[in-house]
Amino acid sequence: MTTPKNNLNNCATCPVHNKENLIKLGLSLDEIDYVITMAGNPNTGKSTVFNNLTGLRQHTGNWPGKTVTRAEGGFIYNEKRYKVVDLPGTYSLLSTSTDEEVARNFILFGQPDVTVIVVDATRLERNLNLALQILEITDRAVLCLNLMDEARRNQIEIDVRELSKELGIPVIPASARRKVGMNELLAAIEEVASGKYVCRPHKIKSRSAKLNHAISNLSAKLAKHFPKLPNLNWVALRLLEGDNSIIEAVQSGELGSINAQTETAQA
Amino acid sequence: MIKFIILSIPPGSMIVAGFAVLGIIFWIFWPKRGLLALLQKIKMNNERVQLEDALKYLFDCEYNSNMCNMNSIAGNLNISDDKAGQLIERLLSMGLITMDNQNISLTDTGKSYSLRVIRVHRIWERYLADETSIAQADWHNEADRIEHFVTREDTEKLAAQMGNPVFDPHGDPIPSIDGDLPEPKGKLLNHMKEGESGQIIHIEDEPRSIYEQLVAQGLYPGMPVFVTGVDNGKIIFAANGDECILTPLFAAQITVEALSDKTPVSAKHELLSSLELGERAEIAGISPNCRGQQRRRLMDLGVVPGSMVSAEMKSASGDPVGYRVMGTTIGIRKQQADLIFIHKNNDDTKK
Amino acid sequence: MNKNELQERNEILSEANKARWDLGVNFHDTVIEAIYEDASRIARKTVKQQGEKAAYSLDLKIDKIVTSRWLGFPLMFLMLAVVFWLTVAGANYPSGLLASFLIDYMHPILKQAAASINMPWWLDGVLIDGAYLAMAWVIAVMLPPMAIFFPLFTLLEDLGYLPRVAFNMDSMFRRAGAHGKQALTMSMGFGCNAAGVIAARVIDSPRERLIAIITNNFSLCNGRWPTQILIATIFIGSLVPAGIAGFVSAGAVVGIAILGIFFSLVVSWGLSKSVLKGEASAFSLELPPYRPPRILQTIYTSLIDRTVFVLWRAIVFAIPAGVVIWLVANIHIADLSLAEHFIQWSGPFALVFGLNGVILLAYIIAIPANEIVIPTVLMLTVLSTGTHGMGEGTGVIFELDSVGDTANILHAGGWTLLTGINLMLFSLLHNPCSTTIYTIYKETRSVKWTMVSTFLPIVLGFIVTFFTTQIWYLWFS
Repeated sequence: MTTPKNNLNNCATCPVHNKENLIKLGLSLDEIDYVITMAGNPNTGKSTVFNNLTGLRQHTGNWPGKTVTRAEGGFIYNEKRYKVVDLPGTYSLLSTSTDEEVARNFILFGQPDVTVIVVDATRLERNLNLALQILEITDRAVLCLNLMDEARRNQIEIDVRELSKELGIPVIPASARRKVGMNELLAAIEEVASGKYVCRPHKIKSRSAKLNHAISNLSAKLAKHFPKLPNLNWVALRLLEGDNSIIEAVQSGELGSINAQTETAQA
Repeated sequence: MIKFIILSIPPGSMIVAGFAVLGIIFWIFWPKRGLLALLQKIKMNNERVQLEDALKYLFDCEYNSNMCNMNSIAGNLNISDDKAGQLIERLLSMGLITMDNQNISLTDTGKSYSLRVIRVHRIWERYLADETSIAQADWHNEADRIEHFVTREDTEKLAAQMGNPVFDPHGDPIPSIDGDLPEPKGKLLNHMKEGESGQIIHIEDEPRSIYEQLVAQGLYPGMPVFVTGVDNGKIIFAANGDECILTPLFAAQITVEALSDKTPVSAKHELLSSLELGERAEIAGISPNCRGQQRRRLMDLGVVPGSMVSAEMKSASGDPVGYRVMGTTIGIRKQQADLIFIHKNNDDTKK
Repeated sequence: MNKNELQERNEILSEANKARWDLGVNFHDTVIEAIYEDASRIARKTVKQQGEKAAYSLDLKIDKIVTSRWLGFPLMFLMLAVVFWLTVAGANYPSGLLASFLIDYMHPILKQAAASINMPWWLDGVLIDGAYLAMAWVIAVMLPPMAIFFPLFTLLEDLGYLPRVAFNMDSMFRRAGAHGKQALTMSMGFGCNAAGVIAARVIDSPRERLIAIITNNFSLCNGRWPTQILIATIFIGSLVPAGIAGFVSAGAVVGIAILGIFFSLVVSWGLSKSVLKGEASAFSLELPPYRPPRILQTIYTSLIDRTVFVLWRAIVFAIPAGVVIWLVANIHIADLSLAEHFIQWSGPFALVFGLNGVILLAYIIAIPANEIVIPTVLMLTVLSTGTHGMGEGTGVIFELDSVGDTANILHAGGWTLLTGINLMLFSLLHNPCSTTIYTIYKETRSVKWTMVSTFLPIVLGFIVTFFTTQIWYLWFS
């Protein structure tokens, strides 16, 4: 049993008591306990976090849009085996571009046990755009507040506790380049994956009445047909956006399988 | 043998021959006037194309509750009255239209046929507007050219990729795949009265010369308008803070939907490109003339109404200017900065 | 039951469609704006900016200098010049070392070993004189400069300087219908075109990315510099007094490189106005904060990701080419080798372009890497003129330490100043090497664009050499 982690300070000095548990795996991933996925804006150090977790060495340049292909890796933490899928860095999940489609469909249909959202602490507002979209899709997420060292140099202060409360998910400050905050991140991932931490993700509040009406109208209909679908509003919104993979999923009834997967994962 | 022939040609003739070959190649591939383009044009003029164009026109008439007859068909398709007569005969014999005196109306089969053609046309217009850099005035003609040759499957695939659009770039609804189309909304701008306000929902793209002028005035679907006066039939209205005057002929090309919940924006927007180095302003919006990927990318980077922007640095050659938005510096070309509206609030401009 | 369900689903969909008509044209924007509104509310609650933004104002100070009207461009050229100088100067010695080990030392040993196990002469030729030698050549000439160039370039990239270069250069590329980041893919192309093509990934607009990929070949790559320098020294340097020969021939090579940049811009412009007119175009350029690069990791990853990656592709293509080169020189039909047949047959056609059969054949069989063009040219010249006592044997590619000896072979092969000039032009304007062609296919996933990138430069090359030659003849006849 690890100590409950929702740390406010990064842990540069505290004992790395989980180091021995942290046997890093390469790509040999036969038996997996949890699947986690990493999403974030380009140039937020997502690849660095990924490399730290998995021990792989993907090139990470100071240049947006480096990760082109989807990378996979894995690690063992507290005797549980995790598979990590690094999604392409995107600014948003709402458009029809291939990258964004890959990312949003993986989170919706893949139902990962945890989605780690890597954000740039120096540009929190812009990064929250993506984070809030992800929270519309999935209920289980951890926010990795990366580049805290840079934020500190810029004298930006972030109220981590308040942010966590607002978003309804664990928020872990980190500086992946210096490997700071990685243990806390692992602990938070474990808590969310095992269900010890129950997320209450933020849902968008600023929509116009007209839009809300259309969404609730449609999600009521969806609820009747797919009674166990967890993220009705998101699916309704995607239908209103004309997202073809969702339309096809409705037509084929594949949407129904999402809840089944979630149940077995929780059971 | 050939060896010696080649070697015996004097260099002067070789140069001339070289230019001749290059000239011929250029002529074949020259856009619009070259050989390939001419062949394409000949292919266009077949009967099916005219038939589909006539159906489309007839449907438009009915949708907007106008009357149409042989003459107007001839005028619209730019063919002689004789040809138009033959065309109508064919449509009648195919059971696509019925005639009552001079009035022509579509049968159910005719209606669904024309809806299919319209769907294809509008989806391609949407595609040309959002996913290519074809000039705005060319969308309609380009879509007209494409619509008769693409298969339905290709069009549906395209629609799926684009997120099944429901409006074309002129603001017209795209018929659904089952042939549904919403009731026409709004009224023509020339029928509006002083003090009325609304939002442009459609700008007719034919005839092209008028459409080009309306586009050049900066009018676009989604634009809020506020009629400030009617003078001799001329409509005077405020759009994005600018005063526009249109003759009834031009105003009749524009459809406006009344808005009740929004007060018209009277403040004139300035353009991001007018921001001097070191100044700050609030972003008011992105012009709808900035579309597709470009628009998405700007919004992704935080260029959304309400966020603050400041001009930070000019590139060594002057043009892209580095603007700071939401904690990031992004280079924006003047061309795009001209499409971003800002509010300069004098208290805010200090740095 | 099932039918009922299907109907229900379709009802949901048509319901959604109707709602979309109601929501109007600005719907997508309002969805995004709503999210940003929430984001901004949360950010206001949780983020505090204290005092001056120290680090950012330092960034801004640096930016004011590197993007200033007067210092921006000189600084950039200085930086690039230093990178190129370090590459050229630093690669010389290890290249020589590798060559003397792999070619002068290992090659005879392998030959001896083959002889001692009584390997048939043809197998020995194909494997050791063909495949091994081509591979050894590519490694010796290609590895050292790339192992220096790529890490240096990657360091500038990690530092955050390269986006500023794109920012400064953008207005020039905008006029050519291209993206400022093409300045980077172009510079990368001076190292290796295949790497330049891969680097075009950072351009996120489809049209500008294709332009950058197609025109990358106009950057005179690392494999072509030695050819240019050698030919310029022999044919152009010899025109002027010895004292300034070095200076003049270097000037000629730089002239060719600048001509390449010129072609790159003109072709970019032509493409954006013609075949690529309809492709979507969008401009965005983020200027990230400066970050101190982590030198060791940068060197490691750039060696793995770029150098070894590109080198591996080059080797894979060089080995079969080595086999082909050896075979065409050693398979005989009616007393003449295949190579001689081709050289004699194509000679007159080549003359129209001021080239010769040897050059045409060399560029066809040395397609895997520009590095082996000169050795192949020498081998073929010796073969077709029947010179004896030069080189290592029939069909064995070689290079000479002495420029004078090389010049003698070429003069014996009938080369003139015009041939030299045309070879320099043709070396700039010809199809990309097979490594680059393959990379272009991998990056664009399109046969069409791969074909365009392959044939456009070579057609241009033939046009340019044709007119150069014919005008030359007209002038001097």
